[in-house]
Amino acid sequence: MTIDVKKQKIIVMPCSGIGKVHGLIAREATYAVTDELAPDSFEPMCLALLVSGDEEALAKIKKMDCITVDGCPKLCAAKNVEMAGGKIVRSIRVVDAFKNYRGAEPGTATKLADDGWTIVSEIAGGICNKREGEVS
Amino acid sequence: MKRAVLSCNGMDKQFGSLARELALKLSETQGTEIICPVLLNNSPDRYEKTLAESSLLVVDGCPTRCASKLANKLGLKVDDKVLISEEAKTTGLEVGKSLRLGPVGMQLIELLSKECLVSRQISVEEASAGFDSPVDFITVTHDKFIFKIPSHDYLFSENDCWVRVIGNRARIGVSDFVQQNLTDITYFEPAEVGREIEQFDEVGSLESGKSMMDALSPVSGKIVAVNTELVDSPELVNEDPYGRGWIAEVELDDFESDKEVLLDAAAYSRIVEKKAAEAN
Repeated sequence: MTIDVKKQKIIVMPCSGIGKVHGLIAREATYAVTDELAPDSFEPMCLALLVSGDEEALAKIKKMDCITVDGCPKLCAAKNVEMAGGKIVRSIRVVDAFKNYRGAEPGTATKLADDGWTIVSEIAGGICNKREGEVS
Repeated sequence: MKRAVLSCNGMDKQFGSLARELALKLSETQGTEIICPVLLNNSPDRYEKTLAESSLLVVDGCPTRCASKLANKLGLKVDDKVLISEEAKTTGLEVGKSLRLGPVGMQLIELLSKECLVSRQISVEEASAGFDSPVDFITVTHDKFIFKIPSHDYLFSENDCWVRVIGNRARIGVSDFVQQNLTDITYFEPAEVGREIEQFDEVGSLESGKSMMDALSPVSGKIVAVNTELVDSPELVNEDPYGRGWIAEVELDDFESDKEVLLDAAAYSRIVEKKAAEAN
């Protein structure tokens, strides 16, 4: 049996950042992609599930390509996916997206402001474009 | 004492999202410090001071219980736990499948954040009043093995769990046969206090180098206490399976019905004889 890899979904794995606006942006960007923009091409995975050693999650991460979205330079998502033996096709850092929005007021750890949502859209759009580029 | 909350922070299921929302809500309304599960896993030293100075509430979204597993893995002392999926069931609130916080989810979080969660936990001492270790045993001998079975006051299930009832409360554990088969028990995961269970639902799990086992409750009811001492000292099950190695206590629901399928010491000894023979 052969598998058409182009039709396989890509995992989007945000850091579990909680209590910081960067973590919330990573999370919302993931939801934007997996819930709204391209649910047929991407699916989310819970990082806490992976680090707690869930066997199903570990098996899945070894089979599917993964895009990590980290809030801060600690890169918890990227590091843990690598440690689990996952293949990261793209590693995104939310802090890098801020470089294009100097002076932006993204909101708080619990509620994004307009600037925060703009950055979410940019990151989410970037993830989807990557997939389209691959397929075409 | 300060409080800290370790939430599973899950994002691919609605209950995980709600666990995160509860952590944020508690932080906003009660000043509870949030512990990121992944950061805790990667850099436990970062939270050393917080954990030393705080009572710890663990919030899990779904029965996979990632946050509880992390706490156990790192040997943290857990003062209280919440399982969102179970709370949703208890309250009858249908939160739906959306990963976004909807009005019903918000209602559940409001409800949980207002509860004094720590006070829901019944202390081991309070819960344990009246349960003494057994004195008289009957024994089953097979080869070099001797399996002890309390001769009075205990009933057993065919899956090697025991129950002892005082008034409307039942204490549950595993038999001497189980502890000898598992050999040295190295890990205990308790059940959720407050959870309603049916007969033969899981009330904790034990693991040794040899294998693992879910303890299945011989009775139905509400879990009112778990033996938190076992988290740090799971070997108590090996040392004293019918006494200090107890696993959970349950407020009984329908014991008259439950006990119809339970066994007394004599009947259970025959089961042990058979299992011991089959094991060879």
